[in-house]
Amino acid sequence: MADMITIVIIGIYFIAMLAIGAWASKKIKNTEDYLVAGRSLDFWVFVLLMIGTVASGMSLLGVSGLGFKLGWPTIWEQIFVPLSIGFCIIFFGVKLHNVAKTAGYMTVQDYLAHRYESPTALRSLSAVAGIIVSLIYLVGQYTAIAIVLIAIFEIPLWLALVIATLVVTAYTTIGGLYAVAWAGVVQSIILIGGVCLMAPLIIWKAGGFTHVNEVMASVNPSLVMPWNPAGAFALPYVVSFAVLLMVGLACAPHVINNILSIRDVKYFKWAPLIAFAAYGIVMFLLKFTGFAGQVLVKEGTIVLPKVANAGDYVILKGIESAIPIEAIWAVFAVIVLAAVMSTTDRLMLTIGAMFSWDIYKKILKPDAPDDRVLLISKIVVVLSALVTMILAINPPEMLAILIWMGIGVMLATFAVPLLAGLYWRGATREGALASMALGLVSALLFGFLNYFKVAVLGVDFAKIPLHFSAYAFIISIVAMVVVSLLTKKTAEKVLDETQTGWYISKQ
Amino acid sequence: MFGLPDITIAAVGGVVVIVIIALLYWGLTFQGHD
Repeated sequence: MADMITIVIIGIYFIAMLAIGAWASKKIKNTEDYLVAGRSLDFWVFVLLMIGTVASGMSLLGVSGLGFKLGWPTIWEQIFVPLSIGFCIIFFGVKLHNVAKTAGYMTVQDYLAHRYESPTALRSLSAVAGIIVSLIYLVGQYTAIAIVLIAIFEIPLWLALVIATLVVTAYTTIGGLYAVAWAGVVQSIILIGGVCLMAPLIIWKAGGFTHVNEVMASVNPSLVMPWNPAGAFALPYVVSFAVLLMVGLACAPHVINNILSIRDVKYFKWAPLIAFAAYGIVMFLLKFTGFAGQVLVKEGTIVLPKVANAGDYVILKGIESAIPIEAIWAVFAVIVLAAVMSTTDRLMLTIGAMFSWDIYKKILKPDAPDDRVLLISKIVVVLSALVTMILAINPPEMLAILIWMGIGVMLATFAVPLLAGLYWRGATREGALASMALGLVSALLFGFLNYFKVAVLGVDFAKIPLHFSAYAFIISIVAMVVVSLLTKKTAEKVLDETQTGWYISKQ
Repeated sequence: MFGLPDITIAAVGGVVVIVIIALLYWGLTFQGHD
């Protein structure tokens, strides 16, 4: 078991999250308060909420692990993951905010239903796809929380998951987006501050930035190149990987729905640059920590466990070596928990919103009173936590593959209907349905074929030059264009109401 | 520089600079208000 200092530090963090939930619950008067924080979020709360939503458990453990394993060719995620926030704000946010404030959108599905004149078909397809993808992503987050708690407290997996589920579910259920947003503020500050303090110490312990690069080059010159000459992380793959991260994350339901919660569109002026700078620094430092791990392992300073994902332990072992104070390790656990929980709570609330608002209120029970919709939201948040907790305790083998596909499926499913809807007046309801359905199905199909290295019709999916999701994305674009050209156009009145056209904002 | 090949500095540094300039341009020109 962990020592008392560790328990106290993590206990304080958990209590702070619950206190935020209790405070936020007093602000919840109706469904709008619960799902979009009464459209009242200020600049810094919004920016830190966006960073917290995008920063997942992968941000700490996986990013440094990938850097340790493959070196500089993986550096592009340090640019395009933080840039996804700016892409979301600029290309989706400005228009969605402007239309949402008059139309009263609660979710992005409200926009899709309005723009494509499809109150049932596209709304339900989009909500169901969003719920499935978010649930899959959520299981991965709970697994990451459990890994941290097990490592620190040395407790069984089921107990770690129950503790994590109770804390996240409690503050999310009672406080809605107010709680998620303010918890996100605290979590993002912990993440940014913690990484900026700890990562430089690990890099310094390894001999400094230049020494780390020189050692990597001596081990394998391709580790310091911007891309590999062939295969994974060759130039074509890097380009498709960048599009995947930037656009796929930007249109993920739990990220894009944050757009509807701000008080004033003027916040979009500097939010993209500030979010990119703040989260970019964190991401670069984490990657450099992974590089430093190469030196620390080579020189015998740290020893990684003999497991398949040994690289994911680099940052943990690096901190133990650079800062040999147990209390600091507990602080690191809080940093990882903050990164994971800031995504987990937003995912749970998004699932609650998509079911209670898009499926229950808008399709099943249009005359349901507001307090009933609010209650359904809370019930679904709790149920989503329970379902994912059970799946995370004993994850089926197929689930690991689905989590790996997560962002790629989001890109292929949501990007084209959203971008075409906002910018192309020729995009039709049938085009959006075909694009979303074919994007979803082809992303799942190509993901499986790529993961299992299958050859079909002469195509070896183990050796495709682009990320698998890029092919599904292209199919989604073709489906949108071809079907839209063959079907009835959307009414001009609706296109004007939804500000559809080749512009970002009318000055 | 920094123990890295020139192409790595140019490629990564170039993209970072382009992104920052683009986001600065956006911030300086966006006139949105409610």
